[in-house]
Amino acid sequence: MNHHNQRFNKRIKAGKVHAITAGVFLLLLLIMPGLQASAEAPSFFIEAAPGKQEPVQSDADEINMRREIDFILYMMGRGDLEESLFLLQSIRGPGIQWQDSLHYLTGWVHYLRKDLDTSADHLLLVSQESPVYRKSSFFGAYNLAHSGKASKASSVLSSMTIEAGTMPYALRHLQMSGVALLDRDFELFARRSENFSGRYHVMAAEERRMMQHYERLRDMPGRSPFVGGMLSAAIPGLGKIYAGKTGEGIVGFLYVAALGLTTYDFYRGSGAGHPLFILSASITGIFYFGNIMGSAAAVRRSNNELNHEMDQRILFDMHIPLRNAFN
Amino acid sequence: MKWINGFYLICIFLCATLSISANEHERWLQAADSLFRGGNWFEASILYERAYYTSTDARGRIVANLAKGEAMKEMGEFSRARRDLQRSVTFRGDESLREELLYQLALCAYLEGDAAGARSYLLQIKHGFEQMPRSRTFLLQGLVIIEEERWDDLRPHLENWFLETNEPSEMRDDYLYAFDNMVAELGGIPSPRDPDRARMWSTFLPGAGQFYAGSAGWGVLNAFSQMAALGGFGLMAWNGYYIAGVFAGLGPFQSLYFGGIRQAGTLAEQKNKSRMDEFQAALKRFLLDVAAQKQQ
Repeated sequence: MNHHNQRFNKRIKAGKVHAITAGVFLLLLLIMPGLQASAEAPSFFIEAAPGKQEPVQSDADEINMRREIDFILYMMGRGDLEESLFLLQSIRGPGIQWQDSLHYLTGWVHYLRKDLDTSADHLLLVSQESPVYRKSSFFGAYNLAHSGKASKASSVLSSMTIEAGTMPYALRHLQMSGVALLDRDFELFARRSENFSGRYHVMAAEERRMMQHYERLRDMPGRSPFVGGMLSAAIPGLGKIYAGKTGEGIVGFLYVAALGLTTYDFYRGSGAGHPLFILSASITGIFYFGNIMGSAAAVRRSNNELNHEMDQRILFDMHIPLRNAFN
Repeated sequence: MKWINGFYLICIFLCATLSISANEHERWLQAADSLFRGGNWFEASILYERAYYTSTDARGRIVANLAKGEAMKEMGEFSRARRDLQRSVTFRGDESLREELLYQLALCAYLEGDAAGARSYLLQIKHGFEQMPRSRTFLLQGLVIIEEERWDDLRPHLENWFLETNEPSEMRDDYLYAFDNMVAELGGIPSPRDPDRARMWSTFLPGAGQFYAGSAGWGVLNAFSQMAALGGFGLMAWNGYYIAGVFAGLGPFQSLYFGGIRQAGTLAEQKNKSRMDEFQAALKRFLLDVAAQKQQ
């Protein structure tokens, strides 16, 4: 009898469990629309609920934010940079724990768009507590250096706290040396480059090349626009050859020589008072002095081109180790 | 009992996860549609991408992808629309969706300027969906034929179009008559001027290459300026200014002479392009008018 009762009780218990499970199933089916409605707001973007400006966010906000960031990363991976930026700018009232991620992502999107000034502005807002602080600071400083703000880049790099003898420490030395070279501060470069060790493969080649850039810049003869102008005054076109523009120099010489010979021909045939001689001499004079001014400008242009080329090489050798180290 | 409970639990899990994610995809799609209707193409394209991203099944993804393609087309981003649509090219299932995808790919390729790419997608539609009505692809096919300058294929294509879309024979004849008439009014298929021949003409007779290319004004100007330069040289030499004659007369003459030869070739190329563009534009207008009339 007892045994029969026990089996009966067991059946009742199992039936209860069964009924409860089925009940939950039915209940879920009934309340599904409600659950779905709360799963994610159909609004365009993540937005903190009213009165949620305080740093602590609810779990739902946290989950939504993570999903939003995941989606932005997905868009960035696809190369949809405009869209990523739009999504980042559309996030309103993010919790304080997300500020760094947002600054970093915004800075990185601008960096990928080659908008380096704005990128630096955002990357340098990442706080020291963030795991991407170092990457942000290095890239922020690089972006500043690329935008011609060498001293600002230098101060960002110096303000970073990095343990001596580590790879980031060596990387900072390389970056600071590059900045000194961009500033054409050879003395500072010589001091900073003493720490080049060649120990880290991510930057050993760049350290060597940075030394070569230094030597090339140090030994580079500074061409003077005045000398260029004077050379062209002596022999038309010679100043351009001095500036490294041999073809332009030869063409300039031929033009002035042809005009000079034409003027001489008019002088020989009609004398100094003839209108053809005066016209021809005037044109020759204009070309002659134009050639002198053009030669001075060519020297300036040539100097600028050389400096620009060297800057690009230095920036390239600052950039590659950063990409190697952080990507 | 255990397996019944297990069955219920599995059902609960699957129902909850699948319907939530399916619903999320729908929500993004609806929000995107509403933005699209409001003319906010850029924002709509992001939400369509979001619908694509959150979709758990291939059908949902292709639907979102096609809708995103529409938004991108509205933005004039045909190349990106094509790139995005390409993601769903392996989709198998709903044949009408697959046909729509191939059609949109063909359209984007054509709008992007890749007529050969468009032709390849249209061929896939032709051979892959023989049972589907082809009324829509005829227009695009015609435009591609014009773009590729396959003139021998154009009239048979038009005849085929009218035949397959059950056009009454009188209407068909009217359309074909209008087409032939228009081509005749345009002076037939433009025969291109050979740039090399234009250069050769200018080499032997200054200005003649420009005439051959169809630019009489440039031809006269060229011939006159070269004669003036030569005349200047002759006049200076006659007066004993030999050096000045060489530099101030022969110098400009050689520049004008060689420049004239180069210009004749360039003019021929430009003229060919502009005449062909005009002819193609007129044909395209005709096809679009026909398609519009057939839709009414």
